[in-house]
Amino acid sequence: MDDTKFIIGMRDAFFNSLFEIARKDRNVIIITADNGAPSLDQFYEKLPGQYINVGIAEQQMIGMACGMAFEGKKVYTYAIAPFVTARVFEQNKLDVCAMNLPIVNLGVGAGYAYDIMGPSHHTVEDIAIMRTLPNLKIHSPADSITAAALAGITHRDRAPQYVRFDRSGIPNLYEGRKESFEDGLIEIRAGGDVCLISTGVMVHQALKVSDALKAVGIRAGVVDLHRIKPVNEEKLLGILERGRCAVTLEEHRLAGGLGSIVAELFADRGVSKSLLRIGQGDVFVFELGGRAEIWKKYGLDAESVTNRIRTWMDSPKRASV
Amino acid sequence: MSSDLTARRIRAKLVELSHQARTAHLGSSLSCVDILVALYSGILNIDPARPADPGRDRFILSKGHAATALYAVLAARGFFPEELLETYAKPGSPLAEHPAPACVPGVEAATGSLGHGLSLGLGFALAAKIRRERYRVFVLLSDGECNEGTVWEAAMLAPKHGLERLVAIIDFNKWQATGRSCDILALEPLKEKWEAFGWSASEVDGHDLPALSRLLKNVPDGSGKPIALIAHTVKGKGISFMEDDNNWHYRIPDAAEVSAAKAELGVA
Repeated sequence: MDDTKFIIGMRDAFFNSLFEIARKDRNVIIITADNGAPSLDQFYEKLPGQYINVGIAEQQMIGMACGMAFEGKKVYTYAIAPFVTARVFEQNKLDVCAMNLPIVNLGVGAGYAYDIMGPSHHTVEDIAIMRTLPNLKIHSPADSITAAALAGITHRDRAPQYVRFDRSGIPNLYEGRKESFEDGLIEIRAGGDVCLISTGVMVHQALKVSDALKAVGIRAGVVDLHRIKPVNEEKLLGILERGRCAVTLEEHRLAGGLGSIVAELFADRGVSKSLLRIGQGDVFVFELGGRAEIWKKYGLDAESVTNRIRTWMDSPKRASV
Repeated sequence: MSSDLTARRIRAKLVELSHQARTAHLGSSLSCVDILVALYSGILNIDPARPADPGRDRFILSKGHAATALYAVLAARGFFPEELLETYAKPGSPLAEHPAPACVPGVEAATGSLGHGLSLGLGFALAAKIRRERYRVFVLLSDGECNEGTVWEAAMLAPKHGLERLVAIIDFNKWQATGRSCDILALEPLKEKWEAFGWSASEVDGHDLPALSRLLKNVPDGSGKPIALIAHTVKGKGISFMEDDNNWHYRIPDAAEVSAAKAELGVA
C-alpha cells in the first residue's frame, strides 16, 4: 500500500455514509439536478428506485422534493452550492421551510472552492441568505469525518437542512477522534488570549493562524462552528468566556455571515468582548487565479490574517483594522 | 342541476368574501369555480371525514390567489364548517388570502407564489408511483402562471416518469394581471405546447360541468402520459358586469355590486 493517505472529499464521505443508510431506509431518496459524483453512482447502480435525476432544473427539484416529503420520503437534493441556495431561495422559503418538510439540500463548493469558475459558482452569500429561513438548519463541515457523520445526523433530524460541502482535498481534522458532532461546534484548540471562530475550510486556516500567533506569544484558541444554524450559543459563550477577545474567520461575505452571527450574539447577550470579523468584503471576484491567490488578494490567507489580528490586538481601541 | 346551483352559490360567496374582507383576485377566483365544483362533485376520491386518508386523491391549487374558491368549495363539501368562511382574512382566521400550510382540512399544500404547484404535484405523483399507490394528483394552474419556467421544468420531467395519474388543469381565462395572457407572452398554442412536452392534452369549456366531468373521470386515460386539460374559461364568470373585465383582477365589489351579483346568480 502507498503510504500517502488518500483524503476523500466531504461530499463523497457523506454520500458513502448516506448510501449505507439508504440501503436500510428505503424511504431515502436522492435527487440530483444533473450533478454527478463517483460516490453518487452507487445510488444509481444499486438503489435505482431511490435516485432521481431531474435534469438542470433546480427549482423544480426542490418543489418536487417537497411533494415527495409530504408522502413520507426523506429527500436529499444535490447540486453545486449556489444552485441549491441562491437559485432556489424561494422554493426553500415557501415549499421547504414554510411547510417545514424534511428536505436536506446538499451543496458542493462552499466559498471559493470553485475558484476559477467565477461568481456564478462562488458561494460566499449562502450562509447570509439561508440563515434567514425559519426552521432551517445549516451545517458547514470542515472535514470529511464531520461530513460522514452528518449523513446520520441529517437523516435522524426531521428539520429542513442545508449542508455546504467544500471540494475534495481538504485534510481531516478529526481522524481518530471520538466526536459526535451533535453539539454543533468543537473547540479544537484552547487559548486564553484570543478565540478564533471559524467554519468550513477556514477552520484549517484558523489553525495555521493559531500556530503563527503562538510563535509570537499569543495563545489563540480555535473553534470549529460546524453547525451555523442554530448556533449552540451556550457552548460558544462558555468557550468565549475563557478568552480575552474573539475573531471570526470566514470565506464568505461579511454581510450576514459567520461574523454577523457572532456579532449579533454578542449584542443580544450583552457580551462586551472585542470582536474582529475577517471575511470577504462587498465585492465579486472575477480575477482568474486559484483559491490561494484569492485568499492572498483579499486578506484571507494565514499570513494576512495573522498580521491583521496582531495589529488589531495591539491597537488601543480594538476598532476594526 | 344541483352542481350548477352549487357553483352559483359558491360564486355568490366569493363576491361576498371579496367585499367583506376587501381582498382582490375575484375575477381569477370566479373563473375556476366550475373546475373546482366538477372536481369536488364526484371526481376526487376524497372523504371529508378522513381528510388525511393515504389513498385519497390530491388536489393542489397552484394558482393560490384563487384561495377563496377552494375554501368555499371545501366548506360546501364538508371539510370544515361554512361559518369559518366568515372569518376569511380576519385576524386569527386560518383562512388567509393564499392557503397556508395545513390551514384547514383539505388544503394539501401552501401556495401563492406561482409556478410551484406542478412541481409539488409531481413529487406527490412520483412518490405514489414508487409506492405503487393508485391515488391521482390534480394541479390547477392559471394561464398566466404558465409564464413561469418551473412549470415547464416539471412538464418535461413528468412524462419521463410516465406519471399518468398526474393532471395539470390550466384555467385559461385569457387574462393576467396587466393584460391579455396571449399578448404578454407567446402563450399559445397551449394545447400543442403540452403535447409537445409529452402530455396527453385536451381542450374543454371550463364552465361545462358535464364536459369537465367526462374528461376528469378519465384519469389515467390509457395513454401512459400525464394529462393536461386546457380549460377555456371566462375571468369573472357568472356575473355579467365582471365577465372578461380584467379590472376585477384587483377591484373589490361594493355593497350594491354584491347585491347585483347575487341577484344575477339567483342567490338570496
